[in-house]
Amino acid sequence: MRGLRAAALLLSPLCLLAASPRAALAGEAAGVAYRVGKVITMDKSDAVINGAVVLVAGGKIEAVGPAASVRIPENYRVVEFPDRWLVPGLVDCHNHIAGSLGDLNDSVYLTNPGLNSRQTVEPNNDNVKNARGGGVTSALLIPGSGTNMSGFGTICKMGGDSLSEVIVRSPGSLKIAQAGNPEWYWVGVGRSFMNWNTRQTLEKARDYNERWEQFDKGETKEKPEFNPIWDQFRGLFRREFPVSVHSQGYQLLMTTIDMLAKKLKLWVVLDHSEFDGWKTAALVKDSDVFTVQGPRSYHFERTCRKMIGNAAGWYYNGVTELGINTDSPVVPQEELTLQAALGCWYGWLPYPALRGVTIVPARALGIDQRVGSIEAGKDADFGIWTGDPIDPRSACLLTVVNGKVVYDVNKKPRPF
Amino acid sequence: MNRGKSTRASWRCVAGAAIGAMLGGMLALPAMARDGEPERVALTGGRIVPVVGAEIARGDILIEHGKITAVGEKLEIPYDARVLDVSGKTVFPGLVVAQTPRGLDVPNEMRPVTPFLDVYDAIDPSQMAFEEMLRSGVTTAHVIVGANCVIGGVGRIVRPVGLSVDEMTVAAGPALRISITPKGGYDRLLQMATLRETFAELNDYLERLAEKRYEEDLEQKKKKLDVGPAEARQRGRELVRADDIDDQHRNLVRLRGEVGAAYRPPIGRLGAFVYCGQAMDVGPAVKLAKEYGFFDRMVISAGGETFKALAELKSAARPVVLPPELIYRDVDPITGKVTETFLPSRYAESGLLWALLPGEDASLPERFMTYQAARCVRNGVARDEALRAITLNPAKILGLDARLGSIEAGKDGNLIVLSGDPLDFNTQVEQVLIEGMLVYERWNDPRMKRLTESAPAGQGERP
Repeated sequence: MRGLRAAALLLSPLCLLAASPRAALAGEAAGVAYRVGKVITMDKSDAVINGAVVLVAGGKIEAVGPAASVRIPENYRVVEFPDRWLVPGLVDCHNHIAGSLGDLNDSVYLTNPGLNSRQTVEPNNDNVKNARGGGVTSALLIPGSGTNMSGFGTICKMGGDSLSEVIVRSPGSLKIAQAGNPEWYWVGVGRSFMNWNTRQTLEKARDYNERWEQFDKGETKEKPEFNPIWDQFRGLFRREFPVSVHSQGYQLLMTTIDMLAKKLKLWVVLDHSEFDGWKTAALVKDSDVFTVQGPRSYHFERTCRKMIGNAAGWYYNGVTELGINTDSPVVPQEELTLQAALGCWYGWLPYPALRGVTIVPARALGIDQRVGSIEAGKDADFGIWTGDPIDPRSACLLTVVNGKVVYDVNKKPRPF
Repeated sequence: MNRGKSTRASWRCVAGAAIGAMLGGMLALPAMARDGEPERVALTGGRIVPVVGAEIARGDILIEHGKITAVGEKLEIPYDARVLDVSGKTVFPGLVVAQTPRGLDVPNEMRPVTPFLDVYDAIDPSQMAFEEMLRSGVTTAHVIVGANCVIGGVGRIVRPVGLSVDEMTVAAGPALRISITPKGGYDRLLQMATLRETFAELNDYLERLAEKRYEEDLEQKKKKLDVGPAEARQRGRELVRADDIDDQHRNLVRLRGEVGAAYRPPIGRLGAFVYCGQAMDVGPAVKLAKEYGFFDRMVISAGGETFKALAELKSAARPVVLPPELIYRDVDPITGKVTETFLPSRYAESGLLWALLPGEDASLPERFMTYQAARCVRNGVARDEALRAITLNPAKILGLDARLGSIEAGKDGNLIVLSGDPLDFNTQVEQVLIEGMLVYERWNDPRMKRLTESAPAGQGERP
């Protein structure tokens, strides 16, 4: 049995090698046709297409469908993966490795509204390369949770050599941590002060936005003074990008839903949302917040002395659109699917888990018009997998970002 | 009256408690009447200890839409009421905790002066403290920051049930926390100087605000400035509006109330729970409260030694919340002789309005307020007075005696069903009703089961 498996491991890259060299030769092809065993589309009807063809041209998906119904143009290069799965590129909502790790936290004040992670983005760093090996194609780079407001995040692709290629949206979000680390600031601070202070900061930003809105609509002739810090927040109050909230435990999530979503009416993504945060599921259901949970999908509940699956906790209490994040480097970026798998080990379900690393986080960040599913017109971001990515035995063999191969196990061994 | 719906709502409450506890070990989270209104509930055949009025050996209580509507013998029970047969049991008002920092992440912030903060931002409904309250018969608690501060924030009066602080809220915070006893690292000089400085800064802030308002008013009327700054500050006072006052000062203005003869900022009043840990703190507390206009809304949070200023406390005639430790021990520095004083006896004699607190250590019986009251009776305090000290008196101190603290028609349906007399140590809390909702049953309390039921063979060891 063991011998057989070893033989299979040896053989499988060899089989693939047969397909790859041809791909490398065809430089002037107008597009690429991926002929695969299965496509998990993650489209609105959750379609799964067996024996499918995906056409890629100009960095976008041109067509997807059963092999019989998709005509491959003459000048397209054909790549064959007859037994493999083509899965949407994975999206991570809460990531610290797409930029320089040394710049994670600038803990100047308890709230640091002037900071922006855009200045720290590093294309092709080693962690980004690892991410590609795990099938991850987009990630929201956010500052750390050392303070209550640590700056604006940047949505990045895991492929591309320049900032303009890498950055999907800037600001990608505003990072807030209402507690759950900022309490160690200076000599310690409690939740009553932190929440008051965070609210004060956001209210200043909101008032700035309102003054400009009034001026822009012609309701007042008094032109407000321009402020480069508060000006970055205008998109937040226009709901052009969300607030990424590092949240954990009951009280924090409750406060986020109440203060940020209901009272300040912000577009809220509860990321992290660990420990017993899932107990707020009833409150989340009554609100419009998105929930993405991680780095760990389980926790030890002291009150009943057993392991609890957080993801299952959310799911079975009604938050069925649940995402998974790694909080890399807390959990390595390439282990995004493994965290979803651990959620399943503790009672979650594989298909919702696969949604949770693709279309769900893409929707939470408002980038689902570009990524998160395999549909014509979307960015050609996907991975070729040996099987279900949520099955820990499966491996990613090839990763494509914006139509370009950024990782190919046959050309370079897996980096982790 | 939709009988089916309301019955379900109430049962869902208990079922929710059980499921919550099984999944995550939480009891305090079941939704309070999130859907469906409170039902009609009748408790029949129990011994009623109403705190106000005579005991009824075998009586009925009717709760409609959360309020008690009738108490007496052989009441006519409406056909659609949910009937809880409590014969053989004792029904007592839900207990009221006059002040506690429990349910907060930390009792106090590091900063000395934080009147602008509110425990609303820090109460955690999932904390075990609230579950413990329910289990011990507490239906209302005033959560307020601890005394390790100069001026702390505003508290909040909550029921120990609900998914969010809004759901838990009975009433907004009635008071700020002030401490006359020095906070950690402070001495009395710095403590009092910081208090005076805070109020002096408030005065200055209000005067500048008045002056600015007066000048703006003149500008609008296109008049020239006609008076000096002192007069402008006087005239401007009447022009200050509620929303002129910034967040940092708002609660201090609410505490202060009237600032000048004719000047009353149009904002709701706040009182103060003033911690006097020692007898010597009472005098400065009274002086401060009179000087800054909140004397009639001051409650004294006493420490052990504070009783030595009983004469001053009596002449001030303000309510007193006793410390959880009821015995004060004096040690003679020369002979080493220990003199014990049972504090409630002294406060009961004084004629002041006083309230008991549960003990702070969760492993000792003092954490049960009924045990605290029983100790009072054992030490000679009248039974009625001891019972009031855990129900009606704290309700009065919180200004909620029209709603809480006794079993009377018109009050909230906050009742606890006990297995025996409230002051019997063998008595257990069997059921708790808050505003007519059955929110706790001992036989559905998983943690209580875990504690009392013998484990199956081989599974007895606890980590």
